[in-house]
Amino acid sequence: MNWFGFILAQCLNALSQASILFFIACGLTLIFGIMRIVNFAHGVIFMLGAYVGYTANVVTGSFLVSLVVAPVVVGLVGMAFEWTLLRHLYGRRDGGAYLLLTFGLAVVLSEVIRLIWGVQPLGTGIPDALRGVVIILDQPFPLYRLFLIGLGAAAAIAIWQFLERARPGLLIRAVSQNSEMVHALGTDVDMVRTSVFGFGCALAAVGGVLAAPLVTAFLGMGTSVVIDAFVIVIIGGMGSFLGSIIGSVLVAFVQVMGAYYFQDLALALMYLLMLLVLIIRPGGLLGKED
Amino acid sequence: MNWRLGFVVTAAACAVLPFVVPQHSLTILVEALILGLFAMSLDLLVGYCRLYSFGHAAAYGLGAYSYALILTYVPLPLPAGILLAVAVTILIAIPIAWICTRSTGVSFAMLTLAFAQLGYAMLFRFRDLTGGSDGLVGIPRHPGPLGIDWFQGKLGYYYLVLGCLFGSYLLCRAIVRSPFGAVLAGIRENEAKTIALGYNTRAYKITTVVLAYGFGGLAGALYAAFAGFASPELFFWLTSGRVLIMVIVGGAGTLIGPILGGVSFVFLEHQLSQVTDLWPLIFGTIFMAFVMFAPQGIWGILTSRFRWRREVPSPDGGKEAPGAAA
Amino acid sequence: MSRKEKYRVKAITRRRVLEAGLAGSAVVAAPAFLRQALAEGPIKIGIPTVITGGYAILGSQVQRTCRLVKKMTDAKGGVIGRPIEFLFQDTQGDPAMCVRKSQELVERDNCRILTGVIVSSEAAAMLPKLEEWNAVFLSHGNGDGRLTAELFVPRFFRANTSAPMGARTLALYLKDAPEKKFIAIASDAAWGRSSNAAFEEQIKAVGKDLVDKIYAPVANKDYSTYITKILQSGAQGCYVALQGDEARAFYSQAAQYGLAQRVQFFTEIVAQADIKVLGKDSLGLVGSSRYPVTYDIPENRAFLSAFQAEYKNEIPDWTDGEMYQALMILFAAIEKARSAEPMKIVEAMEGLDVTSVKGPVLMRKCDHQGENQGFVVKVAKSDKFAEPVGEIIKTYPREMTTPDCRSASFRGR
Repeated sequence: MNWFGFILAQCLNALSQASILFFIACGLTLIFGIMRIVNFAHGVIFMLGAYVGYTANVVTGSFLVSLVVAPVVVGLVGMAFEWTLLRHLYGRRDGGAYLLLTFGLAVVLSEVIRLIWGVQPLGTGIPDALRGVVIILDQPFPLYRLFLIGLGAAAAIAIWQFLERARPGLLIRAVSQNSEMVHALGTDVDMVRTSVFGFGCALAAVGGVLAAPLVTAFLGMGTSVVIDAFVIVIIGGMGSFLGSIIGSVLVAFVQVMGAYYFQDLALALMYLLMLLVLIIRPGGLLGKED
Repeated sequence: MNWRLGFVVTAAACAVLPFVVPQHSLTILVEALILGLFAMSLDLLVGYCRLYSFGHAAAYGLGAYSYALILTYVPLPLPAGILLAVAVTILIAIPIAWICTRSTGVSFAMLTLAFAQLGYAMLFRFRDLTGGSDGLVGIPRHPGPLGIDWFQGKLGYYYLVLGCLFGSYLLCRAIVRSPFGAVLAGIRENEAKTIALGYNTRAYKITTVVLAYGFGGLAGALYAAFAGFASPELFFWLTSGRVLIMVIVGGAGTLIGPILGGVSFVFLEHQLSQVTDLWPLIFGTIFMAFVMFAPQGIWGILTSRFRWRREVPSPDGGKEAPGAAA
Repeated sequence: MSRKEKYRVKAITRRRVLEAGLAGSAVVAAPAFLRQALAEGPIKIGIPTVITGGYAILGSQVQRTCRLVKKMTDAKGGVIGRPIEFLFQDTQGDPAMCVRKSQELVERDNCRILTGVIVSSEAAAMLPKLEEWNAVFLSHGNGDGRLTAELFVPRFFRANTSAPMGARTLALYLKDAPEKKFIAIASDAAWGRSSNAAFEEQIKAVGKDLVDKIYAPVANKDYSTYITKILQSGAQGCYVALQGDEARAFYSQAAQYGLAQRVQFFTEIVAQADIKVLGKDSLGLVGSSRYPVTYDIPENRAFLSAFQAEYKNEIPDWTDGEMYQALMILFAAIEKARSAEPMKIVEAMEGLDVTSVKGPVLMRKCDHQGENQGFVVKVAKSDKFAEPVGEIIKTYPREMTTPDCRSASFRGR
């Protein structure tokens, strides 16, 4: 077993983890950037994506189709939630209202999923095209994880370009910086907010569909994910898209390498990293001071 | 109706309560009061400083485990054990407070979360000491100094907890109505201006965090002595989330509101889970309903109905209904 | 009133008096226990289990087996003439909630028999309280070795196979296996630690090599690092002490790495729920089974047919089988004691030897651990069931698989 092959394998492990984390964290940071709300329901949205994806897969027999259907459905659910409930809270001074509402949603949605899909965990196989291993320097590495890395990178680039160049993307960035001005210029800011919330939820749902073949779809899969996503977003800087990429990669590397070398501290490593970052840069790596 | 009268009436009612309710309800009553105390401790941060903490479980867990660990090695009488546990919690809270208060807003919240999760992780790391995922079980409570042992029984313990709760409430009330509390109000409303007036706001924030941990630790120690065990769930972020919900639903910035929030949370959860398997669904819907229809919380609803005059400015400016007495 | 009506009234009244008299004398004449039954009502069994939350699937299995047992005992007229009543409570897997609900079961519902607790840490929290509650607690599925060792209390009994027993069974089997180097991966929960420690002791005792012990944090999701570690270790066999969500995640990901082709897995628990989800990825898995559904003895055949008749051909999982066994042992103790009083049950259960769905089980006196046979199974397709199941490949007598008294070790055996 050569050392170089091992390091490469671990890097690929970390990048594949980072990919799924990115989808979740990116959604969370976009939502925060636009709406300044911390979405506690994000983990359950991720779980909903996995379950909807499972059903889509069973009905159509295609993993790829579920990868498209689940984010659309979940995105619509998110938009409905924002439109009926969340938007009534804008303008309220206390942050507690958002916490309560999104926490409440998390609990309710969790139960709804249990009622619809039951307590039995659901297995989503990976499509045959993505089965198998690739031998990299003597080490077997799953094709599926390579797919995850590729998809994550492609999505990151696509969203980055979208935010930088496309008109809706520029609009989103403008609203996150100065919503009153944008509103004065005639744009329907409410629509932008609803769309971004839906988009953030859709991204989390993609993460869910991708994660399902790795962990199976089960109740409670979102519980720890939401905290991981928060940590990543804080490390990267709340509202910073680039920060969510860097945060995901950093956290994934710390988890992978840390779990290997410091098994006893596996639970603590991510938080130690966050502590370190916040002590050095209280706003996160690429964030602004709150 | 003035505050003093209200306090005495409530105290008397609570003192009589154990003789009115069925015996088996005493357990849940005690636990509800302990959680009420825990929620009130968080209110010092959330309601009076507008510092949202996502990691207040750390205070609870520290109090519980400190008591448990101390009692494993030294058979201290109950009051001494609890006091020592609170002291340990406060000591550990000082560096935590110092680091967390370097940031504000969400960063502050995440730092508190980090410490709570680190505490959780440490429980697994030092499992020989802390019992790992099992926690510490069979924790005793010994009769007090001079042979005082009325708190060994459930009824006696109820009065002990009641006393701690009321005592802590009086203490907290005195604090927030003192000049110290006035500075906190200044920090809450406009920190920059308060700094400009020459106050070292950081020191005030650190002190408040430590106080909040102290009262939270008291709740934790009381719990460990009552239940006889301490387990890692006490440190987990879900505990932090739940106590935050209790504060908000109860009515932040009122001290009494969070106590009511904590007590009602425990009772509601308990009663609902007896009746239906769908209880989390109903629970979550109730939270959301509070946000939409009763943003001032339980205490806000109660006081607006009785139209009590407010004695100190409400922490939340104009948005809260009048009558939220502190 | 006419003469006819008066006569009828007299006849009715006389008949009534006669009936009452007969009934009264029947009551007086009835054997003491029947009278007690009439007076005391049903036997209440408290089930503080997980209905919502992480282990809800195990809780749902506990509930379905209890309901099946109630149906079966009702048809037979109850136990000692009294019907069985199960009181279910939701603990969400949280020890604090479990203690609270159990306390209520005892104090409010006067329920002194407790079982069906899912998580070992919940069980550990209850043990010191049993004395105060005047209750007896029978574990149906808690694996942590410490419950009958350091944490032992007289009112606690364990009917099921514990984690050290599962590890021991596998180690005995591996003595003759071709694999020489092993690596172990376990959940960082109490039962996982217990399992790994026992396996290490046992595998070395049979002369094999354990190159490393891996502990994954509870609720861990990504096992890529650990899989890489296993690949790197050069081990030929991998002992897996993971359960539920963790096990499924591990096996799914390991299959994606093709790990099963390089390393043979040996698992401490074989769960039908996992086999169902993993499908063909679970074939060939070898493990210790806490309840082998294919065990061909009359008691198990009866249970299996009743279960499948009630639950539309569902295959009972290890929790179903162990819960059923625990209840059968409980009823045997109640019948022996002719009472449902906790201390009488404790007395009757000590030394009780029952043949249940897993064969002969001895509830030994010294630490209240049920001596269970050990079963090694291999997951394979079966023509008797719709899903693959664990086919028994080796059985070990109970004397060999149960640890020393009040311990998780097997010194000198």
